[in-house]
Amino acid sequence: MPEIKVTPLGAGQDVGRSCILVSIAGKNVMLDCGMHMGYNDDRRFPDFSYITQNGRLTDFLDCVIISHFHLDHCGALPYFSEMVGYDGPIYMTHPTKAICPILLEDYRKITVDKKGETNFFTSQMIKDCMKKVVAVHLHQTVQVDEELEIKAYYAGHVLGAAMFQIKVGCESVVYTGDYNMTPDRHLGAAWIDKCRPDLLISESTYATTIRDSKRCRERDFLKKVHETVERGGKVLIPVFALGRAQELCILLETFWERMNLKAPIYFSTGLTEKANHYYKLFITWTNQKIRKTFVQRNMFEFKHIKAFDRAFADNPGPMVVFATPGMLHAGQSLQIFRKWAGNEKNMVIMPGYCVQGTVGHKILSGQRKLEMEGRQILEVKMQVEYMSFSAHADAKGIMQLIRQAEPRNVLLVHGEAKKMEFLKQKIEQEFHVSCYMPANGETTTIFTNPSIPVDISLGLLKREAAIGPVPDAKKPKLMHGTLLMKDNSFRLVSPEQALKELGLAEHQLRFTCRVHIQDPRKEHETVLRVYNHLKGVLKDYSVQHLPDGSITVESILIQATAHSEDQGTKVLLVSWTYQDEELGSYLTSLLKKGLPQSTA
Amino acid sequence: YRELHTFELQAPTRLIEWARGSRVCVAGYGQSGGNEILQLIPPPSLQAKETQGLCPERDFKVECGGFSKHPVYSLKYVPDTSFLVTSGPPDSSVQVWQVSAEDSDVIKPVGTIVTENSTGQPWAKIATMSARAPWVLHGSTLDSVQITEVELRKNVYTAARRGGEELSGVAFLDPSTALLCCARGGLCVADLRQPRGSSQPVSRTAPPGDRWCMGTARPAQCTGTASEPVARLSSSGLLTLTDLRKASEPLASARARVPSPGSGTEFLCVSWAPALPGCLAVSGFDGTVQVYDTQGWDSSGREAEPTFVHRGHVLGGAGDPALVTAHTWHPQKARTLLSAATDGSLHIWDWVQPAGNC
Repeated sequence: MPEIKVTPLGAGQDVGRSCILVSIAGKNVMLDCGMHMGYNDDRRFPDFSYITQNGRLTDFLDCVIISHFHLDHCGALPYFSEMVGYDGPIYMTHPTKAICPILLEDYRKITVDKKGETNFFTSQMIKDCMKKVVAVHLHQTVQVDEELEIKAYYAGHVLGAAMFQIKVGCESVVYTGDYNMTPDRHLGAAWIDKCRPDLLISESTYATTIRDSKRCRERDFLKKVHETVERGGKVLIPVFALGRAQELCILLETFWERMNLKAPIYFSTGLTEKANHYYKLFITWTNQKIRKTFVQRNMFEFKHIKAFDRAFADNPGPMVVFATPGMLHAGQSLQIFRKWAGNEKNMVIMPGYCVQGTVGHKILSGQRKLEMEGRQILEVKMQVEYMSFSAHADAKGIMQLIRQAEPRNVLLVHGEAKKMEFLKQKIEQEFHVSCYMPANGETTTIFTNPSIPVDISLGLLKREAAIGPVPDAKKPKLMHGTLLMKDNSFRLVSPEQALKELGLAEHQLRFTCRVHIQDPRKEHETVLRVYNHLKGVLKDYSVQHLPDGSITVESILIQATAHSEDQGTKVLLVSWTYQDEELGSYLTSLLKKGLPQSTA
Repeated sequence: YRELHTFELQAPTRLIEWARGSRVCVAGYGQSGGNEILQLIPPPSLQAKETQGLCPERDFKVECGGFSKHPVYSLKYVPDTSFLVTSGPPDSSVQVWQVSAEDSDVIKPVGTIVTENSTGQPWAKIATMSARAPWVLHGSTLDSVQITEVELRKNVYTAARRGGEELSGVAFLDPSTALLCCARGGLCVADLRQPRGSSQPVSRTAPPGDRWCMGTARPAQCTGTASEPVARLSSSGLLTLTDLRKASEPLASARARVPSPGSGTEFLCVSWAPALPGCLAVSGFDGTVQVYDTQGWDSSGREAEPTFVHRGHVLGGAGDPALVTAHTWHPQKARTLLSAATDGSLHIWDWVQPAGNC
């Protein structure tokens, strides 16, 4: 049976790097190429040697697809394409292509410059890697080659995140990447049409979570910011250039407006322009509300949020500052942090995950005395808070997506096997589809039932339609024909036409069976007896007695001869063609039962 | 509020039960099957002694779940075992489930305790205790009160027939005494030392037509008896406190501030605060949960002023106003409650006392 094979090289059953290999109808696709942020050695990259031990990756893989710019989905891409070696096409959406290199370069800087690692990709490698990228639009069908096509769907989650449908012939797989089924302030919700893929690969990180409502989270965040500002303190919010920062900005702007607050809010230089630029460029990727208001007022041109200048950090009085980079590992956010850390009236709110080794990670783990360069000890007296606004689908969201797409099978990645049994049962019970949860390196095989379209010749159709009663539109009708497979096309034709096309002659099969009957009379009397018997029994059939002494039942011939050695036994020869097999066998067994005694 | 967390469950629940290790259990009660029993790990802010403000994790995690074909109206964990029992329509049987969070995250059904003539009966009210053995006290009417040992599902006690009045609640007072509350308001005490003991009515109440439910406080560790009297709540808002030692006269009574006509009697719930003496909470009349301080109540039955009213479920959103289905107090944190409503919302809240006691 045709099959689809899926092997997670990462994110099989852990959160970390996502990298999934899919084999569909002879095509091999790699979905995402992420880096595990928790490891410092080669374990952070997926194990590419699994794909092919000695062959070239470019020959083996038909394409690579990246779902969005988070490092656990694209972080290993330059390593993969430049250091391991891959020259084929890499597909991602336009915003992802624009933002990916920025994050990769940022990450490279920390790892190489700050941590001094050597086995890592270079800036040039990032550039070379991005040259292989082909950007796609939403809902645009892209032909990778003659048989393989892909299509991106909106996934929410972050700017440019997409779910991808991979199709070969009538077999298809949908990969969700990370997605979110509820819209937030600046992004819409994921959406897919009823594409009925053979397999849906979905992330399930938050499947076992029941999330605190956004309103409560936001309320607490605003409360903390407000309290700090009210007592004259300064709030530092380290952010990445793009992502949750915009969400928080809109949130603060609205709050400041509503509460008529005067304290200044600053946005790191460079951040505002970049963000504005990208969001203007990719306005179709934001949500409905933003698009609508964009006409009147650029949502990303804020009234209360101004560009930051380094000198402002020393200004007295309360303020809120958004600064990059997000993990406090370098640059402006770290500078500001050092200035403000000693005052307990101040607060730093970490809005996302921090990699081990960064200052952000250290203070979140509770460290309050940090060693800075030059052996200086920094005492952290300011309040440290963590706020997670990340947007992932929960169990309800996953069920919603499955309901939208109507896949025949579901595969879950990003979760622990033990903790996903309940979700697996839930999906199987509600949708009656099979649910798989492979571990890293484990291959799952899914059998598909592709429909193969076949052309039927008009002559055959007409002929079959003419036989028998008018067909009931709702009942299947049995047809006889010959299937010709030629040049990648399938045709159903009548046997005669098939023979003609193939230049073959039709062969006839004829069976002859001998039935012995005890009858001392003459042959022609026996024949008469048989004829009368058959005529009486087979009322619906045409039974004829021919002048030459033989009997026909439909197209079956019966002749009688005397047995060579025993005159008392007559031998009936029953002869029929292959087509009349059923009637022939019936006749034979009927005759074998013998003739009734009384015959006229 | 000091703290407020709101969550949305996929399906509304009418029970909130605490389990070992600060777990919380909720279950669906839909008529069309496919109801889920969910054992949840609350967010760390609920588990810690001190409130932490912005916590890294603010969400409930589903630790394990099970599927029930029938609506789950009541659920109780069997202490010191890995079993839990549920009950609900269409009959008065009790289902037994096993939770094994280590091996898998599925709560498995392991059996059913069927009571005779159970079809057509209202659903069983249940209580559990493991003092002598894992027991479940269950019954839907005064006639049908039994205690069954959970593991082997063997009957241990059957109450003598006393009339088929429908029960609205049952509770263990101690390993040898059970308290039964009738839907029409009467209280009966049953002596469990006899396998076929009889139950004595201890109190009857006046207004006919009302439906009643009760709330008992957990027995204190040292004294072995409950620290609070038995509270009963009627569908018209009347609250009576009864000391079982002197049950003929109610200790105190008051009237809760409830809308009238009431929204039905399905979800009436009254419970004592485990850490605030004299404080109880009432819900089921509308989308609010009301907290009352009963210290200083007399027997007049006057309307009492609630100390705090949680209105979170009212502000739910469009559609029919939500009705609070269940509420429960946090066992350790004095002013923290959990409440659920018909729109699937689940709230954790902790109020600030402006002045005065409670």
